[in-house]
Amino acid sequence: MTYSAADTLVSCLANTPRGTAHGFRFRGLDGQASERYFSFEAFELAAHKRASQLQQLDLRHGDKLALVVGDPAEFVLSFVSAVVAGVVPVPIYPRASFKAKNAYIDTVSHIVKTAGAKVLLTTETTKPVVEEVFAHNPGLARLQTIEGLQQIPERDPALPQVAASDLCFLQFTSGSTSLPKGVMVTHANLVANARAFLGPKGVGATLDDLTVTWLPLYHDMGLIGFALGAIVCSVPTLIMPTEAFGRRPNVWLETLHQTQGSLTFAPNFAYALATKRARDKDLEALDLHRVRLAGCGAEPINPRVMREFADRFARCGFRREALLPAYGMAEATLAITFHPRETPLVTDLVSSEAMQKGEATPSTDPAADGGSVELVSCGQAFPEHEIKIVDEQGATLPERRVGEIWTRGPSVTQGYYQNPAATAEGWSDGWLRTGDLGYIADGNLYVCGRLKDLIIIRGANYYPQDIEWAVADVPGVRRDNVVAFSVQRNGEETLVIAAEGNSSDAAALRKAIAAKVAETSGVTVGHVAIVRVGSLPKTSSGKVQRRRTRALFETAALEEHPSVD
Amino acid sequence: MTRPELLQIFRSSASEIAEKDLSKVDESGVIAELGIDSLELLEVIGSLERDLDIRIPDDQLVGIQTVGQLLNLVANKLPA
Repeated sequence: MTYSAADTLVSCLANTPRGTAHGFRFRGLDGQASERYFSFEAFELAAHKRASQLQQLDLRHGDKLALVVGDPAEFVLSFVSAVVAGVVPVPIYPRASFKAKNAYIDTVSHIVKTAGAKVLLTTETTKPVVEEVFAHNPGLARLQTIEGLQQIPERDPALPQVAASDLCFLQFTSGSTSLPKGVMVTHANLVANARAFLGPKGVGATLDDLTVTWLPLYHDMGLIGFALGAIVCSVPTLIMPTEAFGRRPNVWLETLHQTQGSLTFAPNFAYALATKRARDKDLEALDLHRVRLAGCGAEPINPRVMREFADRFARCGFRREALLPAYGMAEATLAITFHPRETPLVTDLVSSEAMQKGEATPSTDPAADGGSVELVSCGQAFPEHEIKIVDEQGATLPERRVGEIWTRGPSVTQGYYQNPAATAEGWSDGWLRTGDLGYIADGNLYVCGRLKDLIIIRGANYYPQDIEWAVADVPGVRRDNVVAFSVQRNGEETLVIAAEGNSSDAAALRKAIAAKVAETSGVTVGHVAIVRVGSLPKTSSGKVQRRRTRALFETAALEEHPSVD
Repeated sequence: MTRPELLQIFRSSASEIAEKDLSKVDESGVIAELGIDSLELLEVIGSLERDLDIRIPDDQLVGIQTVGQLLNLVANKLPA
C-alpha cells in the first residue's frame, strides 16, 4: 500500500477513495437496524457542511471545541468537522450512568478550563448533565447542542489552510493519579502514527479490511486507532457504541462474525470477559475465521487471558496468530510497539527473584527461582521510531535489564497543553519518558508496569500487576478489582492489598489473599483491606487507580469491611 | 408481568452475570451492596432489556440505587 503526500487529517480525508464502496458504518444500540453508512466521500461532504455551521458559532482557526458526545456517528463527524474548520477538538467522556455527578462535573470543568475551550458541543440528552459546567467556566462562551447546530443554514465554508505542524486535537489523559493533562497531538504526529501502526510494519490495512470496534472514542485507542486511522489510511471501519458491548459483551464477536470484520482491538479485560460470556451454543453460530488481527493494548496484557481466548474461540475458526499485543500511550499519539502481525504470541518466563533486582533472567526452574512471572512480548518499534530502556541516571541499559521505557520518533508529541512543568518531567531531548518499566529481550519489548507503582520492599522490586493477577485467582476476588501498593509503616515499606468483596466473606478473603501473595511472590502482606464492591477508585476507562487507592488508604478514607475475627 | 416475576428475572440475571447467589435479594436491596460492580450491572440491564423487549437509555439510570428503583424503571417501560 502506498501513501500520498497528504500530511494532515484534512488532506488525508480528501485523498480517501471516492464513490460509495468504502467508508464508515456507525451503529447505535440496535445493531444493524440502527446503522448509518457514510462513504468516505459522503463523510467529507458532511464534515464540510458541519464545518461551515461550526464557523458560524464564531469559532476561529486554533480555537478549542470541547466535545461531549456519546453517539459515535455524531462524535466522529463533529470531531472531523472541527478539524476541517481549523478548530481544535477536545474530546471529553460522557458521564457513565452510575458515576457520581459532582466528580464528573469537576473533571469536565477542569478539562474545559485547561483547554481554554470556547464552545462545548453536546447533544440534547447530555445537555442537562453538562449544563453545570457552563456555570463554572466563565471562559466558555457557549453550550451548543448538535441538534441546534444542524438548524444553522449551511454556508460555503471559508476553510483555513491547515498545516502538518498545526495542533490537530487535545487528548486529555484519564489521569490515574492527578487531574487530566492535555496531550498536544499535531497533524504530523497523527499521520505519522496512523501510518506506522496501520502500515506495512503494523496492521498492513487495505481497502479489503473491515475494522470493528466498540472502544470509546474519547480515548486514544478508539479515536486514533479506529476513527482517525480510518481516514488517514483509508480503512473501512464499523463503530458501535461502547454501551452496546457493556450491555452485552457477546455483541463484539457477533458483529465481527456478521459483518465479516477482519480487524479489531480491545484491552485485556475485554478478552477475558468475551471468553467468560461465550456459551457453548453461542460458539456454534460464530465464524471468526475472517478475523485477521485481534489487537490487545491499553492495559497490561495477561498471557493466560490471551491463551484462554484463543482456546475458547479456536472452534469458531479464530486463529491464535491473530492476537497482536501492542504497547502505546497518548503522549506518543497512540502506538509505540506492535508484535509482528499474524505470528504466534511470544512470551517470556522470568525468575521472580531476579526480577526483584531488576533483572529479567529466564526461569527454567520456577521452584528454585522463588517463583516465575510470564510476560507477553509487545514487539518492536515502528520504522523511524526508536525505544530504549534507561536506568535512573538516564543511561541506556542492555537487554534483560529492567528500566524505564523511552521512545522517540515522529509520533511522539511535544508535550501537555499549558503545562510546562509536566512536559519538562515527561520529555527529555526529544525522547518521551513513558513512566513505564520494561525490558528488551531478543529485540522485543516486555512491559512490567508503571514506574511510580513499583513496590520496593527491603530492596526487592515487586510489580503490582503480578501480585494483583495472582490475587485475582483467589475465589471470591475478581480480576480488575484488586490493587497492590506499598505504604510506610514504622519506617519500613509494607505491602497492602485492597480487594473488593462482600462483608460476609471479608475474614476468609483476608486470609486467602495473604496466603496467595506469600505463596506466589514470597512477600508478607502487611495489610489486606476488603472493601465494598465498586468502591475502589477507577479511571473513566475502568482501570483501578493504585495511587488514589493508596491515598485513600493513607488518609483512612478507604472504607473497609469491619474485621470480625 | 407481576412485580414478583420481575424481581425473579432480576435475581436470575444478576446471579448469572455476577457469578454469585443473589436469589434472596429483595427490592430494598442496595445495588452497590450486592457485590455487583457497575460493568456487571450494565450487563444485567442489557439482559433485562432483551428478556423483556424494552430499552432503558443510559441517562435514565442516573441516580438508581436500589433494586426496587431499578424495577420501577423497568416496570414503566413495560406495556400496560
